[in-house]
Amino acid sequence: MIETIYIEEEVIDHSTTKRILKNLPRAQIIEISRYQELFNKRHQNFRLQKMNPGLILAKKHDNFVLPVPPGFGMDAQKNFYFSHMFNCLYDCRYCFLQGMYSSAHYVLFVNYEDFFKSISDTIDRYADCSLTFFSGYDCDSLAFEKVSGFAKHALDFFSKTPSVELELRTKSIVTSSLMERDPVKNCIVAFSLSPQKISDILDNKAPSVARRVIALKQLAKGGWSVGLRFDPLIYCSDWENLYSELIADIMEGIDPANLHSVSHGPLRFPKEMHKQIVSLHPDNRLFSFPMEKKGGIISYGPEIEDLMSNFLQTELNKYTTQNKIFRCTV
Amino acid sequence: MKRVTGKDQLPIGDLKFCWVIALRAEARPVIKAFDMKIVSNKLLFPVYINSENGHALVISGIGSVRSAAAATYLKTLLKINKYAAWINVGIAGYFKEPIGKIYQALKVLNQDTGESFFPGLRFSKFVSGASLSTVNKPEIIFPDKNLYDMEAAGFCEIAPLFSCNELTYVFKVVSDTPGKTKSLLTKTVITELIEKNMGSLSELVGAIGRLVEDERERLSIPREIVKITEDCHFTVSNTHKLKQVYRKWKTVFPDRSLNDVNYPLTSARALITRLEKELLDEVKNWKLM
Repeated sequence: MIETIYIEEEVIDHSTTKRILKNLPRAQIIEISRYQELFNKRHQNFRLQKMNPGLILAKKHDNFVLPVPPGFGMDAQKNFYFSHMFNCLYDCRYCFLQGMYSSAHYVLFVNYEDFFKSISDTIDRYADCSLTFFSGYDCDSLAFEKVSGFAKHALDFFSKTPSVELELRTKSIVTSSLMERDPVKNCIVAFSLSPQKISDILDNKAPSVARRVIALKQLAKGGWSVGLRFDPLIYCSDWENLYSELIADIMEGIDPANLHSVSHGPLRFPKEMHKQIVSLHPDNRLFSFPMEKKGGIISYGPEIEDLMSNFLQTELNKYTTQNKIFRCTV
Repeated sequence: MKRVTGKDQLPIGDLKFCWVIALRAEARPVIKAFDMKIVSNKLLFPVYINSENGHALVISGIGSVRSAAAATYLKTLLKINKYAAWINVGIAGYFKEPIGKIYQALKVLNQDTGESFFPGLRFSKFVSGASLSTVNKPEIIFPDKNLYDMEAAGFCEIAPLFSCNELTYVFKVVSDTPGKTKSLLTKTVITELIEKNMGSLSELVGAIGRLVEDERERLSIPREIVKITEDCHFTVSNTHKLKQVYRKWKTVFPDRSLNDVNYPLTSARALITRLEKELLDEVKNWKLM
């Protein structure tokens, strides 16, 4: 439950702010000048703040749409992402956000219209290219939907721009706002998934994998394009059986036509980010693994990564075609 | 007040709660509730401690600068650990009644500089929240719907440096409003205002104490490592590396000790290599719990 909402003076009368405040009538409101006053300041403790984060309603001024890092996207010629929100309701132990910011407060940029204007400009600029826009890079695309309503706005916008794709990446089962409308054909609802046994340990506060699988099957049945994201792949004893069972479970009963893509990627962190995350959770077995460091990246190392990647590839080939499977390299 | 021995022989213990309070009249109920004893009357600021329950308190005097200075003094004098919580408690003016109500300051504005601070985690279960303005002379008009004090901004500027923002807290009890001016505030009244809120403050200390324990565990250096680095001469770099590897090793093998490693413990490099090898040997059977 959100107890405190910090609001930038500039957006206090914004329609999105007003709607959100209506949905959270019991929260205490504190006015601020700019969100940087309290977000990501030095001497903040992410781990403690995560126990009771506040919501910051802010205005984003620039960098609405950014190119994704090389190796992140699927098969579109140009891939972009946008971050209408920083931080996530969930607390997954491997999440890079805990090493990215010193604050666990949720920052929601309420000027959605500026994001869509910038997306529109980007579409015009790359009129000859196939484009995919990724939401949920710095947050979960749907977990906060009941409060933010952002996905609804995004779907309204992208339903009118059928030549480009939108990916909503999520672990949420809050799919009612999608199920209540006709499928948006150029929207991919991509679920982040791990075997249940692994998720039980690492995906704190997130819905169970079983419920995520039910949600994605309902969406697929309803005609939505769904994506499967096995990223990061987590190593442990018996990982082959765990991933094999997970994939079989997901694929059972899904119409292949509604499966847009499957991607998988290794567990990896930039060195400084890894250092920060380990300092927050020094006694977690995920970080006790003897990781390898190469080119400023901390990971399981090529031997385990290739082993897991090849295994996933083989398992996925049982159910879908090679052109739908992507290996993330960043 | 009972007196503790001289400062060279301070029974510091494991101090977990550091109180920074402007007036003796405000501090008295806190000192009493946590059974603190004065360290010495000859110090720059009066300091009280109870090393048994981990409380320390400094009386800063009035003003933002004094509050920051007193907090720094306490930190230095008692070598307070990084996991300790820092708490500023006192009286404040407010735009509305009731007198005697306690608030957690969620935003602290330095009226002089315009700088804002957002101390602590929210504890709405125990206490209401409000914004607070720190001013450099007593406020009588209350132009904003804020609490008004004269210390919190200085305290909030410095205390997070000693631990972190989430272990820095400001709690204020309403003492004067537009209808009831400061001139009616005697020492006795001030003490009573704080005293009446000691129940809430004790509950807050309980909640903050859980965060302190969490931080203490996270920052702790295992006893085995302390001992081995005291007994053997390791370089700074090797000591740092050993701490890192040991913590991983201990997470994977919680029931083992370095005595089981069966390796000369006098060479940090050899020990690190040994622990790393044991971790590597475990990869095939790797468990996440």
